[in-house]
Amino acid sequence: MGRIINIIKDFSLVGKISLIALVIILIIAIFAPYLSKYPHDKPVASPLKSPTKEHILGTDDLGIDLWAQIIHGARISLIVGLGTALIAGVGGSTIGILAGYFGGFIDKFLMRLADVMIVLPELPTMIVLGVFFGSSIYNIIIVLSLFSWIKPARIVRSKTLSIKEENFIKIAQIYGAKFHYITIKHIMPYIFPLILISFIKLINRAIIAEASLSFLGLGDPTSKSWGLILNYAINFSGIYFTPYWKWWVLSPLIAITITVVSIAIIGREFEKIFKLKI
Amino acid sequence: MLNRKGILMGNKNILIISFILILSLLAGCGQDNIQANEKLNKNNDNLVIRLEGGDWGYPTPFLHYRRGPGAYKMKLIFDSLLEKDEKGLIPWLAKEWEIKNDGKEYIFKLNKNIKWHDGNKLTADDVKFTFEYYKAHPPVWNNLIVNGKNIIENVDIIDDYTIKFIVNEKNATYLERVGTMPIIPKHIWENVKDPLKFYREEAVIGCGPYKLTNYSREQGIYKFKAFENYWGPKQKVDVIEFVPVSDPILAFEKGDIDTLMASPDILNRYENNEGFKVTKNKPFWGYRLIFNMDNRPELKDKSLRKVFAYGINRDELVQKVARGAGIVASMGYLPKAHKWYNPDIKKYNFDIEKARKLINGKEYSFKLLIGNSPKEVKIAELIKLSLSKVGINIEVKSVDNKTRDGLVKKGDFELAIIGHGGWGRDPDLLRDMYYSSETMESNSPASGSLPGFYNEKINELALLQMKQLNFDERKETIYKLQEVIAQEVPQIPLFNTIGYFVFRPLKYDGWMYTYDHHYPEHCKLSYLERK
Repeated sequence: MGRIINIIKDFSLVGKISLIALVIILIIAIFAPYLSKYPHDKPVASPLKSPTKEHILGTDDLGIDLWAQIIHGARISLIVGLGTALIAGVGGSTIGILAGYFGGFIDKFLMRLADVMIVLPELPTMIVLGVFFGSSIYNIIIVLSLFSWIKPARIVRSKTLSIKEENFIKIAQIYGAKFHYITIKHIMPYIFPLILISFIKLINRAIIAEASLSFLGLGDPTSKSWGLILNYAINFSGIYFTPYWKWWVLSPLIAITITVVSIAIIGREFEKIFKLKI
Repeated sequence: MLNRKGILMGNKNILIISFILILSLLAGCGQDNIQANEKLNKNNDNLVIRLEGGDWGYPTPFLHYRRGPGAYKMKLIFDSLLEKDEKGLIPWLAKEWEIKNDGKEYIFKLNKNIKWHDGNKLTADDVKFTFEYYKAHPPVWNNLIVNGKNIIENVDIIDDYTIKFIVNEKNATYLERVGTMPIIPKHIWENVKDPLKFYREEAVIGCGPYKLTNYSREQGIYKFKAFENYWGPKQKVDVIEFVPVSDPILAFEKGDIDTLMASPDILNRYENNEGFKVTKNKPFWGYRLIFNMDNRPELKDKSLRKVFAYGINRDELVQKVARGAGIVASMGYLPKAHKWYNPDIKKYNFDIEKARKLINGKEYSFKLLIGNSPKEVKIAELIKLSLSKVGINIEVKSVDNKTRDGLVKKGDFELAIIGHGGWGRDPDLLRDMYYSSETMESNSPASGSLPGFYNEKINELALLQMKQLNFDERKETIYKLQEVIAQEVPQIPLFNTIGYFVFRPLKYDGWMYTYDHHYPEHCKLSYLERK
């Protein structure tokens, strides 16, 4: 933990701003129910009100407060982002270490599996799976994870391969150290930065993927994520010829953009500091 | 580190794409002063009208999609014995007709010199063949079935241009039923064993004002060209093209299409603008909520159905979903603008207290089947919210619109919302819908009975009205029928839409509404010369 704080101190100004933005979004997501006096799923005012003091982002066509929807949507985006990144990051790294360390049949099997997943066209398959399993937020996390473990797995594998040939590992093995011990003590410290950066990128990927799925109308229709708000807004007949887009389209769009951009910048900062580029 | 470049690019791409996205959003809003398209066409030579496309099936009487946009494309190619104008039925292929023998014989005199698109002459033989063929192979929109029976007993040819129909009983609706069936050429169809597989070019040879010259299912393109040897009024529009459109409003503003159904929010762009003309569609298109009493027998209880009637805020639906461009539907089904509409029936204004009293503390949960259009999703969302306050829990299931149409026809649902036109037709539609029969008369979504619903009084009135040839007597029965229907609440008509139809009068001004239909694009006379 102390190591990460030190790294953050080395961030550039833009990096620090992004981090603050992300922390704010995180806080908003966690305390969402306390930050709005209106529910995110019930009409409370007349439809399509422009932003006022009462409704700082206005209301949508059903009269539901948009601020309440946006902060609730932050929760969904972050749950999907973190959930997918956790499953795919941990799973992918484990697979990468196993393949890199043991080599042979295990390596071949796991890497061919990864090849198969890379060949599958991502969005169409996600759409099919989403339709097939039904669109709940958990299913979306699982489907996204299925497609996201490959990159961390490959990166971790190649790093493991090169570390494995180092002399100190060879010596540890001669002294009888087993896979478990070597991974924790010797391999992890080397691949931790890689995993961290992959993790951050996975969050971003998942947030965008969820937004696109919802935007296409394949997300969880009851979840009111940012993508879904955008989907409803854009499907409103002639939205760009009315003033409503100014709050209804822009607010979810800006929320997605801020989140994704700040996460991307944080990822870049880590890359710079670790002198790594993946 | 294999993918160094790829991922770096990825990062930049995200930034660039989001930037472009925002820019493109802003761009759509710049031009507030749009001009009417200047492509004038003064002498109307080679006038091409472009309309919003989409695939609605191959336009033969057997292969078009069961909804209006499919059927009315087919009717551009195939004429029928009678046609409809603003007031009622008018002579068409038949120049005059007679009803004899206490309403059991219909004699039609055909116009001479009617030619099929391939040059052959239309005679009474073709008409006779058509009705016999329809008996063996029912078309998609089949008007000839009443209570499960084909109404035609016999078709006699008196001479080449006179034909006599003998029907099974006297009935107030038979003239329209017989008169509006599309006539097909005998010399082509007599050899067709399975019309559902007949996709050849000959299948779209009719005697109507337009020939189909291009159809692309994948792109949803149709092209109709005026038939030069048409027997009837001259076509004012030379070519009607249905073109694929991603955003109808943008396409209309750019002049890619010539008509638009505008929502009230953007109406101010076209009203008080000389280049445009706005007409109000008739409220003959609407949404209804159907109960499946076979699958959920508790819905046979009238008071539970009334809980829905009181517990759904239909006024809110009009305001929020239709943006005010609609009217709350009549509980007797026939909409306010219908000439047989009974204004003195029970109204069921939104009243949550009354609904709570009726449900009496019990709780229910139902699955609600809807299509995937944004409007239906909103209707479902609002209904769900307001019924949850009464104690009815709704689980919404949204599927593709065509899938929903199919499931509703099959009766595979608990509750369903469906929107369709045809609310302005002959009031015999009340029998089609509320009479308890298992038979399916037509494939149209506007037709078909309510699963599991049975009411003696409604059955009796529904059968009585169609046998009354006297206008006033029939009107009285229809009024009474609406009254009983409103008391029984067999289904919930939600609201009727009033679309705003926008077009450029300088380019084409011939749009008309038939007495029973909501939409000018569907009316054949919209494209023809009028007296």
